[in-house]
Amino acid sequence: MSYIKFENLYKSFGSNDVLKDISLEIEQGQLVTLLGPSGCGKSTLLRCLAGLETVTSGKVYLDGKDITNVDPKNRGIGMVFQQYSLFPNMTVLQNVKFGLNMKKVDKAVADTKSREILQVVGLADKLNHYPSQLSGGQQQRAALARAIVTEPKVLLLDEPLSAIDALLRHSLQVEIRRIQRDLGITAIFVTHDQEEAMVMSDMIHLMYNGQIEQSAKPIDLYTKPCSPFVASFIGHYNLLSAADMKKISGDDIGCDSLAFRPEIIEISRTPVEKENAFHMKGKISVSLPHGNILRYAVMCDDIQVDVDVLFGESELFDSGDEVYLTVSKPECVYL
Amino acid sequence: MKNRNKGAAAILVLILIYLLIPLAVSIIYSLFSNWTGIVPRGFTLEAYKNLFSDREFLASLGRTILIAIVPIVVTILLILLALFVTTVYFPKLEKYVQIICMIPYTIQGVILSVSILSMYVGNPTFLSNRIIMLIGAYCIIILPYIYQGIRNGMRAVNMPVLLEAAEMLGASRLYAFFRVIVPNILSAIVVSSLLAVGIIFGDYVLVRNLASSAWPNVQIYLYQAMKSDSMKSSAVFVVIMAVTFAISAVVLYLRSREGKHRRVDE
Repeated sequence: MSYIKFENLYKSFGSNDVLKDISLEIEQGQLVTLLGPSGCGKSTLLRCLAGLETVTSGKVYLDGKDITNVDPKNRGIGMVFQQYSLFPNMTVLQNVKFGLNMKKVDKAVADTKSREILQVVGLADKLNHYPSQLSGGQQQRAALARAIVTEPKVLLLDEPLSAIDALLRHSLQVEIRRIQRDLGITAIFVTHDQEEAMVMSDMIHLMYNGQIEQSAKPIDLYTKPCSPFVASFIGHYNLLSAADMKKISGDDIGCDSLAFRPEIIEISRTPVEKENAFHMKGKISVSLPHGNILRYAVMCDDIQVDVDVLFGESELFDSGDEVYLTVSKPECVYL
Repeated sequence: MKNRNKGAAAILVLILIYLLIPLAVSIIYSLFSNWTGIVPRGFTLEAYKNLFSDREFLASLGRTILIAIVPIVVTILLILLALFVTTVYFPKLEKYVQIICMIPYTIQGVILSVSILSMYVGNPTFLSNRIIMLIGAYCIIILPYIYQGIRNGMRAVNMPVLLEAAEMLGASRLYAFFRVIVPNILSAIVVSSLLAVGIIFGDYVLVRNLASSAWPNVQIYLYQAMKSDSMKSSAVFVVIMAVTFAISAVVLYLRSREGKHRRVDE
């Protein structure tokens, strides 16, 4: 039996349908990501679970109970917001204690628990600081502590790291994942950053246009996208129509479009004989170094194909060089 | 760069002189009895001695302070509740609240007092009590200032997110509003109430028309003093200024002490 369940959920703001018939189940103890471009409804879905938005129709179940019409404060759900949401007039410790005080937990117990959880998130030396004295990363860690100290049934994270700079974001991703695993919390993470989703999740639900486009484990989502949208959103797939493929490789692919990742393409100065592969010829138009990989934009006729090679692993090509591309057929995704 | 600073300093000094001259002249005028020569002579504290031994003066001063407190407290509470309801439940109604709160800007004191009198004085309910009328009139007059101050304070804190965060932690919205939002806009509330104190202390028209006999406050006293003794009236004016200044100083001192308290915690 699943722990969280959305059943035929619809939500509209006026005439704008934001969620269209969402049905989704989430297991206990997992960290699940709702991934998608902005405006796809992922935050709205999260807020429906939190109770901060009322649903237009459909049901929400948590731990076997129908919570569709329960007040947010009685749902037993913790939440970390995108914007900094610590109470500016209270210290870090008072912020963390707030939820326990609301639950009428014994004062001494609340104090001990709050200090413990702040130890876990690494803010033990900032107990008496006010939010304005903390960095963005510290504020979000305090917000995380505040959300989990009450031992909620589910922890919701609504793009909590999007306002934080890249370097710190990576360490916080790891830290959130560690805390979630250590404490065995069921968590739902909302993000528009596919890399973040890959790193953190047990399961990714990719949303598009108010619907779940694909639900899969991170690696499966990356290697087996189920639609052109997923292929273009995840990784950096080359997405070519059947007509394009016919034009540049001469092959009939037998479906609407073909997707292949830039890193599976072999690139060489001379034609390569390979069984069960597509062969194309093109001209390097530009090469872009991305740190450890080098990305070539290759023009085959007027169609651009991106090719990634590990930096230093193959010979270097210059703009204008003629190259041959070989793409192994089994590694392509037929859509 | 230096020249520019000098220019700015000169402007500042000019403004200070402009603002302080009336006060300085009043102080000097209230301290000297003989004004026949170029330099005033006959230094005396007689005017102040007389004032502070006059029970009527002290009572009028007390009345002014008292009549300032009630409308300010009432108006702040009203505005806080109205803004809570509009922000949380009916965001679309907020612009109407704003329009309503801005109307008193355009109402002249004379018109307001005459309207209130003609409306309530005829029928003997508790609303026809002169003091209640005066309090009501002051609530109307200070409404735009308090509204604008509190509204700006609320804009500076991210109210919807803070309320949602508190709600997720198990607080009701109203509790969250008074526990989380109000403390964060306290300085806005303090500043707008000080402005309101200034307005009520400076009012003569409303109190004269509505309650000059029922509630003779210090402005009424000043007006009567002006008719009889110019030295005394200068002294009254100086005392009013001093009391206003003292109230502001005390409130701001309390606020700054709170700030210091926070810094010590670090």
